[in-house]
Amino acid sequence: MGIFDGIISGFFIALTPMNLLFALLGALIGTAVGVLPGLGPAATIALLLPITYSIASPVAAVIMMAGIYYGAMYGGSTTSILLNLPGEAASVVTCIDGYKMAQKGQAGPALGIAAIGSFIAGSVAVVGLTLFAPPIAEFALSFGPPEKFALALLGLLMAVTLSGESVTKGLIIMVLGLLFGTVGIDPISGKSRFDFGVTELQSGFDFVTLAVGVFGLGEIFYNLEQQGNVEIVTTRVGQVFPRMADWAKSRMAILRGTLIGFFIGIIPGGGAVISSLLSYAVEKKVSKHPEEFGHGAIEGVAGPEAANNAASSSSFIPLLTLGIPGNAAIAMIFACLLIKGVKPGPFLIVEHPDVFWGVIASMYIGNIMLIILNLPLVGIWVQLLRVPYGILAPVVILFTAIGSYSIANQAFDLYALIAFGVLGYVLRKLKIEAGPLPLAFILGPMIEGSMRQSLLMSGGSFSIFVTRPISSTIVALFAIFIVGQAVLAIRRTGRCSKAQKAA
Amino acid sequence: MKRMVIRSFIIALVAALTVPGAAFTQDKFPSKPITIIVPFSAGGSTDLLGRAVEKIWPKYSPQPMVLINKPGGGGVVGTEFVVRSKPDGYTLFLGYGSGHDVVMPHLQKMPYDPYKDLVAVSRLSIHSVVICTGAKSEFNSIKDMVAWAKKEGKPVTSSVSTKAGAVDISITALGKAAGINIVTVPFAGGADAVTTLAGGHVMIGGGHPSEVMPHIKAGRFKPLAVALPERDSSLPNVPTLKEQGINVYTWGSIKGVAAPAATPREVVEYLEATFKKVCEDAEFKKIMADLDQPIMYQNSAAFTKFLQQAFGDYGKLIKDLNISIQ
Repeated sequence: MGIFDGIISGFFIALTPMNLLFALLGALIGTAVGVLPGLGPAATIALLLPITYSIASPVAAVIMMAGIYYGAMYGGSTTSILLNLPGEAASVVTCIDGYKMAQKGQAGPALGIAAIGSFIAGSVAVVGLTLFAPPIAEFALSFGPPEKFALALLGLLMAVTLSGESVTKGLIIMVLGLLFGTVGIDPISGKSRFDFGVTELQSGFDFVTLAVGVFGLGEIFYNLEQQGNVEIVTTRVGQVFPRMADWAKSRMAILRGTLIGFFIGIIPGGGAVISSLLSYAVEKKVSKHPEEFGHGAIEGVAGPEAANNAASSSSFIPLLTLGIPGNAAIAMIFACLLIKGVKPGPFLIVEHPDVFWGVIASMYIGNIMLIILNLPLVGIWVQLLRVPYGILAPVVILFTAIGSYSIANQAFDLYALIAFGVLGYVLRKLKIEAGPLPLAFILGPMIEGSMRQSLLMSGGSFSIFVTRPISSTIVALFAIFIVGQAVLAIRRTGRCSKAQKAA
Repeated sequence: MKRMVIRSFIIALVAALTVPGAAFTQDKFPSKPITIIVPFSAGGSTDLLGRAVEKIWPKYSPQPMVLINKPGGGGVVGTEFVVRSKPDGYTLFLGYGSGHDVVMPHLQKMPYDPYKDLVAVSRLSIHSVVICTGAKSEFNSIKDMVAWAKKEGKPVTSSVSTKAGAVDISITALGKAAGINIVTVPFAGGADAVTTLAGGHVMIGGGHPSEVMPHIKAGRFKPLAVALPERDSSLPNVPTLKEQGINVYTWGSIKGVAAPAATPREVVEYLEATFKKVCEDAEFKKIMADLDQPIMYQNSAAFTKFLQQAFGDYGKLIKDLNISIQ
């Protein structure tokens, strides 16, 4: 069966009323999960897994699960923009300019462009998935420890550039993130580090708890001080939909974000985060007004949102073609398929063409459902900001706590959540941009682990990073960035001193 | 169909709302849903086994079984939760006999005694360690690999799921017995380790059948050996290490069910009998075959004895290989 026949038969499957209903259900649940702070797609799918036992058709079950997964990516931007609450790693970047836009009364355009960007990226990525899944899967496999090390290192460099004005503060917060990342069992030596005898700490801090605490709770604690005038955003909702000017600015950002997300997103483990970081860095670089980034640049929302949605579609490629689940949510979908007697992997397309093509076709339909669902919702979400802060804040805290607890079903995460909230408050008081903290937290263990794995592979020789084509290319890029920044900085100071002399 | 969905949704909801250990009037066990704790992440091989049990259990019991993942500390967090929960049979632990029960106590201090604080209910499966190489590799047997390492004088690189886990111990023991240098590269879990071998970044790798079978069937991996005393029924064509002249075996990762030590005898008897019925169920057999997990049922008494043997065997290996993590 060719690709064309395959996708046509897939549409016949996906368009049956039952499967349409499951796709809609997935899109609805996914949007809700994305919007509720702290509740992630992986935890939701785990919760709903027993329900799929009684859904007779594996296609229908997976269509729903997939809908929850990419639907959550759509919805995830909502809380990032409105409340500074990143639902998952990839949305941290969206918070930076998205929340600033909301504070300026541009929540509507930010949400609108995020939805449109997500739709375009999601749809383009599904086309890519349809046409190139098998060759691209091979590309994903070529990322071994040395390649992952180089990529994560580049990601860390990008993360520091998010820090805004002060590089020093950015570096301080990055080191803090790296330190938090070292807590728990070190996979290479098997030793537990910095656990202070607390069993729960042996698995380290949870990312969502950290990000939601530092960003969301920190913001709420900070606002508690502003007695009386906590209507920060509430009265200035502004216009709801993006204008033509916004669209013109974001068009290319969405396109670039889609491409970055599609390719980087297929790399198992951390692909989505790095792709949204890369997209942000690229937009800042090509922009004619890079100084607007960090103060509400719409490209800073459009690019990364497109990237993480493209990544959510392309992360299905290793699952469907190789049987390799790249992240926790995809691992749940993998489990769901296995229980149904369907084995994802190279033979899926032959043994179960209905599942393979049906799911892909449903992703086209799901994306259309999501844009229809989300665009009108923008108006409603924006109204949410009119809710008095005294009501909104406790509700947000409640949902955050539920979400945080649901991750490992343990009360310890609630204490951690509060502690991170206090940390976020302190950072806010010290005027330190917290953006690099959660990113360094995720990238640090990746860098450390993959570096030590690489060195074990090479018998201790660092040449492994520069003798392999992909890793040497990324290392070269890293070097160019560093040298380029240094040269720019030297020139700038040189010009300043000349100007001073002339004056 | 739709009614089924709604019905199971209600069951799940009721189950989720029922606090484990709540004081119920004790009629006949079970009078409320049973919680089974999987101390590992959702989607892993123990979780999959649990999902299969969760699906079949209601056929043989008036009350459903509800699976909850409590990952952390390599399995210790979830297991400790069961150890400390009310010994009434409504909170069980799935994965009894995994690395944190048979390996970890030899290496570090545990917050509980996995043998005194828990009572074995039933063994369900054993996840053996299968040693594989890439399809393009020049190794076709363990003999080839040993010959290559001795001729070239170079180390063999191997990806393993976790440091000092069953796979790591099996492969390290193989290297020592064969007199060659095998460098084990630990990852944060079986999936990562297997993916690294699939990408051809290491020479060999090990994993449980459920992790490596998809790649073997796809022609990406060649299985070299199984590290059990006898062949694994889910890969009957793969010879053991012993058959290839290497006197090494491990028990892989044992997957059984346990309850808090003070659980009443008649409750344990009910549970072991019901698990036996589940293990003999045709649909369960089909699912387990699809998951590449052999069904290896044992009742409470036999499983208790078996665990002592496995624990002793691992202790001896760890001592012989001088493995430590502190």
